[in-house]
Amino acid sequence: MLHVRGLTVGFGGEPVLEGIDLDARAGEFVSMIGPSGSGKTSVLRAVTGLLRPQAGVVELDVDADHVAFLFQDDALLPWRTARQNVSLGMRIRGVPVGEAEVRADEWLASLGLAGFGERYPRQLSGGQRKRVAIAQVLALEPRLLLMDEPFAALDAIVRARLTEELLAWVEREHLTVLLVTHDLEEAITVSDVVYVLSQGPRATVKARHEVAIERPRHLLDSRRHPAFAPLMTRLWDDLAEELSPGVHTADDDGRG
Amino acid sequence: MAGARARVRVIRRVVAFVTVLGTWEVLSRVGWLDPFYAPAPTAVVRVIASLFGDPGFWTHLQATFVAALAGLLGGLVLGVLLGFGAALSPLLADLLEPVMIMLNAIPRVILAPLFVIWLGIDLASKVALALILVTVLIFFAVYGGIKEVDQRLVERVRTLGGGRRELIREVYVPSVTAWVMGNLKIAVGFAFTGAVVGEFVASSRGLGYLLQFAQSTYNAALTIALIVLIMAFVLVLFALAERLERRLLRWRYEA
Repeated sequence: MLHVRGLTVGFGGEPVLEGIDLDARAGEFVSMIGPSGSGKTSVLRAVTGLLRPQAGVVELDVDADHVAFLFQDDALLPWRTARQNVSLGMRIRGVPVGEAEVRADEWLASLGLAGFGERYPRQLSGGQRKRVAIAQVLALEPRLLLMDEPFAALDAIVRARLTEELLAWVEREHLTVLLVTHDLEEAITVSDVVYVLSQGPRATVKARHEVAIERPRHLLDSRRHPAFAPLMTRLWDDLAEELSPGVHTADDDGRG
Repeated sequence: MAGARARVRVIRRVVAFVTVLGTWEVLSRVGWLDPFYAPAPTAVVRVIASLFGDPGFWTHLQATFVAALAGLLGGLVLGVLLGFGAALSPLLADLLEPVMIMLNAIPRVILAPLFVIWLGIDLASKVALALILVTVLIFFAVYGGIKEVDQRLVERVRTLGGGRRELIREVYVPSVTAWVMGNLKIAVGFAFTGAVVGEFVASSRGLGYLLQFAQSTYNAALTIALIVLIMAFVLVLFALAERLERRLLRWRYEA
């Protein structure tokens, strides 16, 4: 589905990432963890074409139309209603406005926002805005879903619920997912494969771990699985080596 | 509680206003104020009433309104076009930016005599002055607004598959609308400044012409009456501009 080979990304100076290899097979849920400033987000941005790599290739087995990106913040268009925001991607793909809006309402309803179509983003809570952003992305019926710490800004309960809903969705649609996260627990509970990036600049893939927990996943069950604790320890060790004293972390915006 | 606080504020202001006017009236009547310099408020009101009773006054009123509104509309259109053009074309930006910065730095009303020489003492020179005042204001609102568009929104639309056309329609036009609406009230004030100052400099009609006439005949009551009238008209247009803003920027104001 997705093959990244020798990806090097920089912004003029020293590369942030260097020689990243990463694969996501069809239907696989892949997570990337790493210290702040390791350029995890840059991998996603290179995959979507928002960022032009200095070197390396990104191969996709699907059309670019089938790739969707769920961002960290829920920057919806403030001057468009929830319905208009959700239908935007469909309209861009040539779906007639009327049909796109009907489908947008269905998506909102399936995410628990029936009747919220007329609201503007300012009139929604953080969790509701996130749901609109998810509807906007899922409405494109993507095959590959890229997510950049999508629930980082939400409180724990909303976060858990949305994660469960999204997992169910991924399972039902056999989506391939590439998730960037700071949260080691989350990485293990949701994914089949976890990549650990090293400290940047010139961050590389430090380790690749398969998660030996069968799908479908549930947040709590996964945590009680015998494979959970040992892998958690491995990931901690991986990261601890990267964050050992003397190594300074870069700016904590997750983008560097 | 906020409502009570607002009510207290309104009451204070009304009381202060009435007190000042009342004092002025009393001082005038007892002869402590010379009506030649400071005619009583009631005298000013009488002048205003007589102005509205004079059929000739309406042509003056019309002249100023036409000049101000034509300058306002033209300035909005021109400012938006030039601002968009400069934001989208580096060539146009290079050419326009120094001119606009210069025009922004000077008190633009000093151009009035030049417009009179070029365009005559009729309507055209007043429209031109109002137009240039508004255009420069709106140009910077649009040009700066586009440069400061939320890049996250640009990225969202791009990852949803949007190209230049969708970006303009979904991101740039709405955010520029917000910037322009935010400046609309200032633009209304500028348009009236342009029209009235233009008439003041040289004209045969308009509120500015009447002001010039009142000043040259040392008619303080008429001068104050005209100032009050112009203020009232601008306030009415402010209210209209605010309604338009709330309508176009529903997403910002809807509860």
